[in-house]
Amino acid sequence: MTALQNPAPAKVVLSLTINGEPRQALVAPHRSLLEVLREDLELTGAKRGCDAGDCGACSVILDGRLVASCLTLALEAEGATLRTIEGVALDDRPDAALHPIQQSFARHAAVQCGFCTPGMVMATVALLEENPHPTEQEVRQGIAGNLCRCTGYSQIVEAILDAANAAPAAQTAGAPR
Amino acid sequence: MNETVVGTSVLRRDAPGKLIGQARYADDLVLPRMLYAATTRCSLPHARIVSIDTAPALAIPGVHAVLTAKDIPGTNAVGPVVKDQPVLADGVVRYVGESVAIVAAETKDAAMAAAAAVVVVYEELPGVFDPIEGMADGARKVFAKGNIGSRTRLRRGDVAAGFAASDVIVEGDFTTQMIEHSYIEPESSVATIEPDGSIVIYAATQYIHYDRDEVARTLGVPSSEVRVIQMTTGGGFGGKFGSPLPQCHAALLAMKTGRPVKVTWTRGESIGTSIKRHPYQMHYKVGARSDGMLQAVEARLISDTGAYLVTGNSVLGKSTTHCTGPYSVPNVSADGFAVHTNNPPSGAMRGYGVPQVTIAIEQVMDEIAHRLGMDPVELRLRNALDIGSTTATGQVLKGSVGIKEALRGAGAAAEAFRAEIDQAPPGRRRGVGVAASWHGTASARRPSEGTTVVNVMKDGSVSVITGAVEIGQGSDTVMGMIAAEELRVPFEKVRVFTTDSAVAPDCEATTASRVTYITGNATRRAGAEARRQILEMASQDLEASVDDLELRDGVVTVIGAPSRRRTFADMVFERGMQGVTAVGSFIAEIVAPDAETMQGIPHPTYGLAAHAALVEVEMDTGRIRVLKYAAFNDVGRAINPISVIGQSSGGAVMGIGYGILEEVQLREGRVVTPNFATYMLPTALDVPAIDVGIVEAPEATGPYGAKGLGELAANPGGATILCAIRDATGMMMTRTPVTPERLFMAMQEAGVSTR
Repeated sequence: MTALQNPAPAKVVLSLTINGEPRQALVAPHRSLLEVLREDLELTGAKRGCDAGDCGACSVILDGRLVASCLTLALEAEGATLRTIEGVALDDRPDAALHPIQQSFARHAAVQCGFCTPGMVMATVALLEENPHPTEQEVRQGIAGNLCRCTGYSQIVEAILDAANAAPAAQTAGAPR
Repeated sequence: MNETVVGTSVLRRDAPGKLIGQARYADDLVLPRMLYAATTRCSLPHARIVSIDTAPALAIPGVHAVLTAKDIPGTNAVGPVVKDQPVLADGVVRYVGESVAIVAAETKDAAMAAAAAVVVVYEELPGVFDPIEGMADGARKVFAKGNIGSRTRLRRGDVAAGFAASDVIVEGDFTTQMIEHSYIEPESSVATIEPDGSIVIYAATQYIHYDRDEVARTLGVPSSEVRVIQMTTGGGFGGKFGSPLPQCHAALLAMKTGRPVKVTWTRGESIGTSIKRHPYQMHYKVGARSDGMLQAVEARLISDTGAYLVTGNSVLGKSTTHCTGPYSVPNVSADGFAVHTNNPPSGAMRGYGVPQVTIAIEQVMDEIAHRLGMDPVELRLRNALDIGSTTATGQVLKGSVGIKEALRGAGAAAEAFRAEIDQAPPGRRRGVGVAASWHGTASARRPSEGTTVVNVMKDGSVSVITGAVEIGQGSDTVMGMIAAEELRVPFEKVRVFTTDSAVAPDCEATTASRVTYITGNATRRAGAEARRQILEMASQDLEASVDDLELRDGVVTVIGAPSRRRTFADMVFERGMQGVTAVGSFIAEIVAPDAETMQGIPHPTYGLAAHAALVEVEMDTGRIRVLKYAAFNDVGRAINPISVIGQSSGGAVMGIGYGILEEVQLREGRVVTPNFATYMLPTALDVPAIDVGIVEAPEATGPYGAKGLGELAANPGGATILCAIRDATGMMMTRTPVTPERLFMAMQEAGVSTR
């Protein structure tokens, strides 16, 4: 309402790198990164589950850090390097090869309704980059900010542990694929 | 069992798209010239609407329409079983958050501002917030006809005689809380008007044909004018088969503006205003002989159905028929009341009234075991249903009664857990619990049909067209597996289409644990019929008996003479056919329970389950940790075992949340837990790995022996944790969720040592 009663704030050009590509958008300063991704940049992989940072479905990796894009102002990403679910696979077509983490999720049936899945995968990418060989407890800690109502987490945890075990140390240490 | 696809673990084909963020959910959809909707909601639990002024909202730039009840051209009442919920409140509001006006605007910001600018003048009415209060004479009324929305009455045998024959009688009062489905995807629908004037709705939903019919009634047009297309749906658990307000609101606004309109609810709207799981207040009196054999169950079940009934009568019915748990009880008397309050309406949620009674009866079973000095699993085994047993509704079970095997599995798991019981750190106590439950497959109200069309295309690949939508649980994969099995083609050559109400046969809702059983049977029949037609053609061409022919991946050969063969492609080409199309239907026959006694055959078959848990209680805080959990679910036959494991694990965790974490808290009808910071869903840290045991007691009427799992998986969880808490602390907890505070206070009152 305040946005309406006051004159609309001037929009600002946001420039950042998303999944390796330079992108720009003209955004009002009050808009969240999630809104700008979904509505201006046509990257709808990040999901709006709660808009309050509670569910993790909107998780993205901003300058190497896992963040809830719904709690991040778009302009906070100015000049940043952003990774979203669309950039995790080796190619963004459904028939293309998946990232080993995604392959493991598919193999372990860790996907049911799929709404938490993009956030879960991003949380897993962030976790395994920081801790390539986590224990089960560390995996559960790593995805504790991501709610899933379908799976009960068992198959997700298995998938993450399996992905970590299968990955050669050099790759999970962050070397280019 | 010589199936080659059924019974193997098949990976779902929608997983890759979901994993790379390309699956399309309703809120991902953007159509040209699309408007955004927002809802004006009342902030009072009960009030008369004196006036509504929409002019200030319409004056906001970018606003195209503001609609209220008077703008509804058709019928202003929806609901899956009872159509008593208004699409937009008309004259009276009955719960906080009820929709009063809807707006469509160029931007979400403008829509929200407009929704807030609608001026509604209310005259506040007294509210009723507790069902017991609501039942009392002279109670304030939610509806003029009275607050009792529905009653059930079950009578079997003679409970007085049963109690007279009992050596131990346990009585108790139990209270279960309101909970929220908490699908991670909030409600969302996009409506658009086609060039021919018909309406298309893209929706997150559990039942496209129901949405179609409700939208048509709301708009006052024939159902043929409305087409609902299900988008990838981010969970349902019953909640996306409630009152389809997002679909109706989007349709009304699209009709008014002629432009596409998107309605997406916030999490606060989803938790605050959608249907909930009914809170129950239950009184149980159960008698058993000294040998543990149950003699009588008397139950009084009172549900708070909130402002509207929608499915409250039907949920209460299922509670009543399932009130004994999966046990053979000769004398049963149960009375149920679904009572209106000015709380948010409750409706269908995974379990449909059974998780509530499971909490109660399983605590009673543990108390009986305690008083008799009997092992709780042994007590349950002695009373467990079996083939030939009679249920509380007088139904004689003909087969597929795997409860004893499930109990033995859970009992063995419990024994293994017990080995760790002494390893609790100082200040903590551990306990092991086992609880059982059951769940009738499909609706108990009337027979229930499913229909599937199978097309075998010229190249031998297959499409399966059926209306039972996928909501995440894996039914599309199961339907594809069944068609692949019947037509002897690789699963990869089958595609399943379920999303379009204009194309797919109405299979009723993806609810009631019914899809694998009912639509699975329909799909199997359609596949078998297509196979029959193909073999018939080959029989003519090869001059061989159908019995001597074998179909495999589009080629028919004579068994033992593989050079005598016909390809499907050649056979249809030569006949001028474009492929083969076959239809299969299946109706689950039931005998609807009698109104006076509820005697009847409410379900064609029952899923049965026993779960075990190891918990640890921090004695000086009451904090509960679930350390181990095992779920044994009798599914008849696991068509896709990896999917059964997933649904079982998810159900168990939902049950754990019900037992100790989740509660929609209300103050005078206001939801004070409208987000996931205050509404406590289980996270990965709150639960252990779930050990799933698949029990297969084949159901003769099910496809390949299968029956329903979805709700069964979630039914015993809460009770299992309560049983384990009792084992750890000696406290029979009678109110869920068992929060640390409640457990701590109970232990304090009982003088339990905190060491």
